[in-house]
Amino acid sequence: MSLATLKVAPGFMPYMPKEYQDLVEKGPYGRQVKVSELGTFKEILEEHPMCAGCAMTLFIRLSMIGFPNPEHTIILGTAGCGRLALTQASIPFVYGNYCDTNAVASGLKRGLEIRFPNQKKDVVVMAGDGGLADIGFAHVMHSWFRKEKFTTIMLDNEVYGNTGGQESGMTQKGMVMKMAPLGKRFEKMDMLGLAKTAGVAYIARIAPTNPNRVVSTVRKAVMVAREIGPSFIQAYTSCNIEYAIPTPKVLDDARQVEKDRYGFLEIMTDEAKAYLEQIEPKKGAKAKEVAE
Amino acid sequence: MYAVAQVDISICSATSCRLCTQYCPEANTILYDNKRKTAYIAVDRCKGCELCVGICDNIAKHRAIKMVPVTDVHDGFEMSKYGFPRNGR
Repeated sequence: MSLATLKVAPGFMPYMPKEYQDLVEKGPYGRQVKVSELGTFKEILEEHPMCAGCAMTLFIRLSMIGFPNPEHTIILGTAGCGRLALTQASIPFVYGNYCDTNAVASGLKRGLEIRFPNQKKDVVVMAGDGGLADIGFAHVMHSWFRKEKFTTIMLDNEVYGNTGGQESGMTQKGMVMKMAPLGKRFEKMDMLGLAKTAGVAYIARIAPTNPNRVVSTVRKAVMVAREIGPSFIQAYTSCNIEYAIPTPKVLDDARQVEKDRYGFLEIMTDEAKAYLEQIEPKKGAKAKEVAE
Repeated sequence: MYAVAQVDISICSATSCRLCTQYCPEANTILYDNKRKTAYIAVDRCKGCELCVGICDNIAKHRAIKMVPVTDVHDGFEMSKYGFPRNGR
């Protein structure tokens, strides 16, 4: 399977775009690529129009390495910065209306299970803090209550980045933004707590300071969503434009924030823990089996 | 005119840290040549954010990456011209 879905008839190959040919010849399909191999294979993500030095892009790039089966993955997103990069990848991307990402993902996942009973298809929602915690909040919560089997990844930049800097539910209390001159009056929403209450099987909080950890966390979340139930990752992906972080300091900021209030945290149910322990030692064997 | 990253190959090939390839937010921009054992930059893709300079200077402590004006780059690798390198550069 895998790479076969990407190959065109040999006669057509010379007429395909150069990027497509590269992807077929040097892409990461059919094997589990490692972080240390970056730069030696053609990545799923292509050139994209995100700002220079954006930590969100770094996170997206790394999480695409983390998907266990990129060729059998579908990403959902909504208006926001993240979709600028997510749309530039060779993974199908569904552009939800603002708010309905998790509702669309629920239907999509159920439909894929009926259509492809013998092939696990992964559905991943990747949207910003505004899309998931503010506008799509009801849909997110209900998809968790219904125990829908897909992964929700929040790209938490703590601001509405591409509309000019309005405060979001995930902005820190007291933060003064361009479009919130009086400072935010309320606390940052506790999405991890809400996820725990809703019974999400695997919850993680992460900052993109350690590439290996990002990759393994995304992989775990997707694997849990395949078998056990919903999974949720809340990732700190600073907005260097709205928070006026000079680009060389983006990772210093991420490290500082991680130290202060965004440390790596994993919450999982006993069932998810048992499942992850079961697949962990034979991860290589599993990847091989999936690739065939 | 803008600045892009440039890897000093003599310093980089003496190490095998590969950290810059992992922290670049752009896809396939810092590439790695297994033959020469060095990282190198796809000049047309670099947006000049300097994240890699911080990583190389402060984390890896090799100081192999410098920012140079794009007009001063001669013989730089361009992804749009050559496509993904097949067997190293």
